[in-house]
Amino acid sequence: MTTEPSLSPMNRSLFARLFTPQVIGKMPPGTQFFVYTALILWSLFVLFPIYWVFITSFKEAVDVNRGPFFIPWVDFTPSLHAWRELFIIDYEDTLTAYANSIVIALFSTGLCVMIGSMAAYALARIQYKPKFGTIALFVGIMIVASVAIAKAGLDWRIAMAVAIAVFVVLARALGPKFKASLGNGDILFWMISQRILPPIVVVVPIYMMFQNVRLLDTHLALILTYSVVNLPIVVWLMYDFFVSIPKDLEESAQLDGATRFTTFWEIVLPMARPGLAATTLLVMILAWNEYLLALFISTTKAQTMPILVAAMNAGERGILWWSMSVVIVVMIIPVVAMAIVLQRFISKGVLLGAVKG
Amino acid sequence: MTIQSNGAPGSAALRAANKASAKGLVIKNLNKSFGKTHVVKDLNLDVRPGEFLVLLGPSGCGKTTALRMVAGLEEVQSGSITLGDRDVTTLPPKYRDVAMVFQSYALYPHKTVAENIGFPLKMQGIDIAARTQAVEDAAKQVQLDSLLARYPRQLSGGQRQRVALARAIIRRPSVFLMDEPLSNLDAQLRGFMRAELKHMQHELGVTTLYVTHDQIEAMTLAHRVAIISDGALQQLGTPKEVYNDPANLFVAGFMGSPPMNFIKGRVADNRLQGSGIDLTLSGSLEGAEVTLGFRPEDAEVVDPGLGLFDAEVYAVEMTGEQTLVTITLDDAHFVVKMPKDYEAEVNSLVGVQFASANGYLFDTNSGERLRSGAVA
Repeated sequence: MTTEPSLSPMNRSLFARLFTPQVIGKMPPGTQFFVYTALILWSLFVLFPIYWVFITSFKEAVDVNRGPFFIPWVDFTPSLHAWRELFIIDYEDTLTAYANSIVIALFSTGLCVMIGSMAAYALARIQYKPKFGTIALFVGIMIVASVAIAKAGLDWRIAMAVAIAVFVVLARALGPKFKASLGNGDILFWMISQRILPPIVVVVPIYMMFQNVRLLDTHLALILTYSVVNLPIVVWLMYDFFVSIPKDLEESAQLDGATRFTTFWEIVLPMARPGLAATTLLVMILAWNEYLLALFISTTKAQTMPILVAAMNAGERGILWWSMSVVIVVMIIPVVAMAIVLQRFISKGVLLGAVKG
Repeated sequence: MTIQSNGAPGSAALRAANKASAKGLVIKNLNKSFGKTHVVKDLNLDVRPGEFLVLLGPSGCGKTTALRMVAGLEEVQSGSITLGDRDVTTLPPKYRDVAMVFQSYALYPHKTVAENIGFPLKMQGIDIAARTQAVEDAAKQVQLDSLLARYPRQLSGGQRQRVALARAIIRRPSVFLMDEPLSNLDAQLRGFMRAELKHMQHELGVTTLYVTHDQIEAMTLAHRVAIISDGALQQLGTPKEVYNDPANLFVAGFMGSPPMNFIKGRVADNRLQGSGIDLTLSGSLEGAEVTLGFRPEDAEVVDPGLGLFDAEVYAVEMTGEQTLVTITLDDAHFVVKMPKDYEAEVNSLVGVQFASANGYLFDTNSGERLRSGAVA
């Protein structure tokens, strides 16, 4: 019969619970003291390195090497030499990397949030039943094709075309006979399992792939790679959010004449805004800071900021702590700006007034 | 698609126009199972054009599932649904020309009241000027015209309910489907909205299928009530018919508050004999397991020995307009409605009397009404 939309704390999604603020002022004094102490310690732990990086960007080599100084004008005299070097003398390299990072992070995040949220919505609302047999068939045919390419020297284009054709024919013929099937939960786990694999494992194949399609050292290569790598995270987080949206609203929209896509676009997505904002921020930070894949795929033209930072401890002049600090400081700025912009969407109460009184 | 002006509520011409265009809804042999549970069993209903038909039954009886099948939100397993002269059994919801009011109201929280009400028209591609006019008209009909710029979270429960209603009216659908629309309101507001709803349905003359588990709501709102239990239709009739002439034990026990009293017994020598009673019956029910039912308001408490049987007073409750006397006979409790000034001592012996026409006989095993006998 009619199910009550469950809003009890136990049934709410993990995501919704994470964004329900607790009021420290309402806790007992002992707990308050403990919470404040923990928060202060944690803040110091997090903020101190940032402070250190910030002051280091104004230090001369001698101030760094003479060992740790923390207070400007007392311990050392701040200087703009590192800033001048990176933004006036060598500005071209710095700004190119900066622009690359911004373009790649924005586009890969946009692409992956767009595709990922649609996939998550589909998984949250449509029941899929991929057959075990079909999957095994696909994997089997791919293994045979790979062996044929590696051992018999078959051209990979021909081998793949034949393999796919054989798979389609067999799947259509045998498909109805396969009984055992997987569910949406399995698809979801398969998605996240992509992130369980350490990136270092796939770096060489990815490099080879982009080399073959002649996309090495291009923005497109990095945008595509980051989108794919971050897609499971978007799907995983957004799935949880979509599941918590009452079905009544979507059914009502359907009755009001909305198509499935309109329902998603007009009703579901605006309600998932907090989740969307948080996910976007997370994925953008991941893309912004990514190092390993960028190291392989980009060399000069598509070089990103993390690569620039890394390059500074490999030069013939030794480790340039001051220059590195400058780059890190300017790298933090856009992320903080983005967080401030997105934070106003990550508020509670978006679903308020949707159901019940 | 043209938008008719809603006109002032109560316009006779509008009412006539709506009634002429109202469509009937025919449900034939409708079935639905979820896994092994047969939720809707061979449901047959013929809702007349402009009729207010209420599906009444306890939670889990399949009434909401039936409604959702009419809406197109639930797939039909077998059977057919016809709206006017169109078979809509397999049509997607948006092509059925039905509007639904959900128990939860299902308002879009990120849209204003005006945007919520206008959403169905927006989906139909109606331009903004016509839409704004229609929204204002619909809002006026449910007295929401001053709240159009608000968001659902800024409204009270009753106001949200009106937004949901306005969103349904604005489309001028062939059928209104309502799934317990009043159950989230507090008792006072529910009574008020019930009257509003009845008036609105009368004014609009739109065929309405309404689901509820509240028998008072069903009695007060419906032209006809369909009582459903375990997925099967028990009785279909006007509120008066189902109340005064219940087809079986379930209907008799479900309608009425407090519900009908039942006494179980066996018929021997034209006498109904059960725990603590021995009544003369007319008719041929020899040897049958019989349940005798009588309504609290049809019976009266009299002095011992003067009634059909004697029993002890268990409790006396004064409700204001009347006094409810609970009497006990061999662990069974009966309720009798007495005038408000009635007084009786608890544990005192009293008699219970009711006219033979007000005693209902049922087959205890099948639950079916036995019309061949009566209390003599």
